[in-house]
Amino acid sequence: MAVVTAAARVLGSSRGLGQDGLLLLRRLGVRGLAISHPQRQQQRFSSLDDKPQFPGASAEFIDKLEFIQPNVISGIPIYRVMDRQGQIINPSEDPNLPQEKVLKFYKSMTLLNTMDRILYESQRQGRISFYMTNYGEEGTHVGSAAALDNTDLVFGQYREAGVLMYRDYPLELFMAQCYGNVSDLGKGRQMPVHYGCKERHFVTISSPLATQIPQGEDAHPGPAVGAAYAAKRANANRVVICYFGEGAASEGDAHAGFNFAATLECPIIFFCRNNGYAISTPTSEQYRGDGIAARGPGYGIMSIRVDGNDVFAVYNATKEARRRAVAENQPFLIEAMTYRIGHHSTSDDSSAYRSVDEVNYWDKQDHPISRLRHYLQSRGWWDDEQEKDWRKQSRKKVMEAFEQAERKPKPNFSLLFSDVYQEMPAQLRKQQESLARHLQTYGEHYPLDHFEK
Amino acid sequence: MGPPLQPNQCGSRLGAPPSLPAECGGVACKPGLRVGMAVAAAIACRLLRLRAAGAGGHWRRLRGAGLPRGFLQPASAGEDAAQWRRVAHFTFQPDPEPLEYGQTQKMNLFQAVTSALDNSLAKDPTAVIFGEDVAFGGVFRCTVGLRDKYGKDRVFNTPLCEQGIVGFGIGIAVTGATAIAEIQFADYIFPAFDQIVNEAAKYRYRSGDLFNCGSLTIRAPWGCVGHGAVYHSQSPEAFFAHCPGIKVVVPRSPFQAKGLLLSCIEDKNPCIFFEPKILYRAAVEQVPVEPYNIPLSQAEVIQEGSDVTLVAWGTQVHVIREVASMAQEKLGVSCEVIDLRTIIPWDVDTVCKSVIKTGRLLVSHEAPLTGGFASEISSTVQQLEDTGDVEEIRGWKPHCISAGRMFPEPRGSYIKSMWVRHTISPRF
Repeated sequence: MAVVTAAARVLGSSRGLGQDGLLLLRRLGVRGLAISHPQRQQQRFSSLDDKPQFPGASAEFIDKLEFIQPNVISGIPIYRVMDRQGQIINPSEDPNLPQEKVLKFYKSMTLLNTMDRILYESQRQGRISFYMTNYGEEGTHVGSAAALDNTDLVFGQYREAGVLMYRDYPLELFMAQCYGNVSDLGKGRQMPVHYGCKERHFVTISSPLATQIPQGEDAHPGPAVGAAYAAKRANANRVVICYFGEGAASEGDAHAGFNFAATLECPIIFFCRNNGYAISTPTSEQYRGDGIAARGPGYGIMSIRVDGNDVFAVYNATKEARRRAVAENQPFLIEAMTYRIGHHSTSDDSSAYRSVDEVNYWDKQDHPISRLRHYLQSRGWWDDEQEKDWRKQSRKKVMEAFEQAERKPKPNFSLLFSDVYQEMPAQLRKQQESLARHLQTYGEHYPLDHFEK
Repeated sequence: MGPPLQPNQCGSRLGAPPSLPAECGGVACKPGLRVGMAVAAAIACRLLRLRAAGAGGHWRRLRGAGLPRGFLQPASAGEDAAQWRRVAHFTFQPDPEPLEYGQTQKMNLFQAVTSALDNSLAKDPTAVIFGEDVAFGGVFRCTVGLRDKYGKDRVFNTPLCEQGIVGFGIGIAVTGATAIAEIQFADYIFPAFDQIVNEAAKYRYRSGDLFNCGSLTIRAPWGCVGHGAVYHSQSPEAFFAHCPGIKVVVPRSPFQAKGLLLSCIEDKNPCIFFEPKILYRAAVEQVPVEPYNIPLSQAEVIQEGSDVTLVAWGTQVHVIREVASMAQEKLGVSCEVIDLRTIIPWDVDTVCKSVIKTGRLLVSHEAPLTGGFASEISSTVQQLEDTGDVEEIRGWKPHCISAGRMFPEPRGSYIKSMWVRHTISPRF
């Protein structure tokens, strides 16, 4: 039994076994395989057997009354590749990525960081209405994005701008969405940071939390699962990744998404950014179990917990999860432990519920950007001179895009009415005409100059 | 015919005639009550008397307006219990056999639905059907045979989770594949309300048309069935009527169901298709075997008349048809009967044109009175009387958008509430 189990682990981890291989192993009674296969429900029934025959579980009898103790003191271990100083711990886990790629990681994270600083400030100055920074979580975005194919569909929550940054979403479009100007692909309809890009396979962010999970979208995981199912049917060789925070994981939609993904065997990666806070709510008030990773096995989902501030750990885990999700048509759950260094948003002041010391620790001692920089420097791929240059350059790029975005007008007001349906129904057309008439008479009361004619 | 309705089952506040117990509103509660008479008293409606347009403000009065007190007495109070349980509150009236769509077959409503689903899966290789218990054929037999015919990856059960079912369906539709989700009873659609209203309905709009879930259709059994009680009888169309971005459709018959369902599936917007469960078996008529479409957002005038316009949808269409013939016979009143078919976006023109002709409107639905869809119809029709200005005061139908902030209330303008101006509130 032990041999078979070990064999399963080895075989399972090195190459996708495929359904047949796994089925064989299941028949041999191997435990620990997470695929829920319909055959497990249909064991041969024999009334002379003293083995359990219940359709609902595959287990042995026990005659001792014992409750399973949830293990929160010594929870699921956290996979990492680098230590806090950016040194590789176990060389066999080093993905040995080429310099160019690692530099792209670094530049994406730092450019995002720079853009965050500038846009946060711009909100403070009243230039945009709202903003959410990604401080401290850049590693989770870039590490995971780098491990995916460019055509893999991304459903985010709202703190995954680094994924778009890695996919080369232009600064101009980030700014356009935050300003809601004419260049915004979303036509100015949503609050800032609700990015979307069809070309880069990044589904538009929506505010309601967890709703993307069943779909695959903003904290609603269900739709992600649906998209993954469709990708499976289409033999698209494509994975869907669904990002959400540990707070959004409390939503019913998360539960729905996990369960559907497992029962319907969907090639999806559930990527949880556990950053310690859901606005002001710390994890101790969000859940009592061992985080999110511990929930996966409850659904029959392969799960792992990683150090989210270690971009290589995130990369390795996502890469392997992607390979197996597509090969084996099963979901994977990655819980990336990290810390939200910034406030929840520009409407939040986190000093109201956490100490500045705590925040400083993470900013100074365990930051994904500095850890990667140490790695780069120890490899001789980066130095202080380049750092200074790059900081200047990235700031300049961001400022230019920012100034341009600010100068552009907002979309024409008639766009208030389009895209509600694919075709515009008569009643909406009437309302659109009514607005136009109203503005003709009372236009002086409206800031029409800011809007495209 | 199903058993009679229990008191308050339909949820509609019924004007109780003097001869019947107040709380039951007279809907087939008394044994042996003749259906037609019960119906006349039992309509949940608003009777509006409008000035006939262009008639210089002359009021038309119902002839025989003073109904005799004994009008609604039970015809044969002594019928036994076994018999009254079989009396439904309506008689299904089949339409004549359609000749323009090729060969027809006798089908009841659930068979017509199966036929539509069969046509869809045959035509569209991306189409999938899913929901609770659909694999074995569904609790109302709407998906019988489809799994065997099209495979288990196309017709499959989901876990028991409506928010998951709809969310999952949205995801499939986002990739462009056709998703046909079944909610086991419309009464259970509420866990999916967030997905429908906040996600499905707004997908295209919020992404600036980069993404959409137009190929999603949600089907659910709807309306009272006699014994369904609180949680197997609801008609929630009014909740969804308030949500731009989706379409809500209710058929009255097998022929209508197949054509409308096919239109919903092919429509490029997410649609909710409510199937009157009491008609699943009770409604039988000739239905074309091949696919055909009945257009959405088009009401049907199924009977022309001159004195009053009666509007209904689903099962209630048959009720008002009987009312129309009773009114003609007993009161000499000529009724124009309209089946609304699509709740949103609804066919304002057909209804208004009819009311302009008749001068009176009666809308009847099973759903509760307050906030029911009849309110929307009656207030829209009421505006016919007023000038265009009145129309402008109503809120805009599109979603609240962030950029709506750009249009603050006009200062000094007498027109208030011109714009819909709530910013989407973030999770602060």
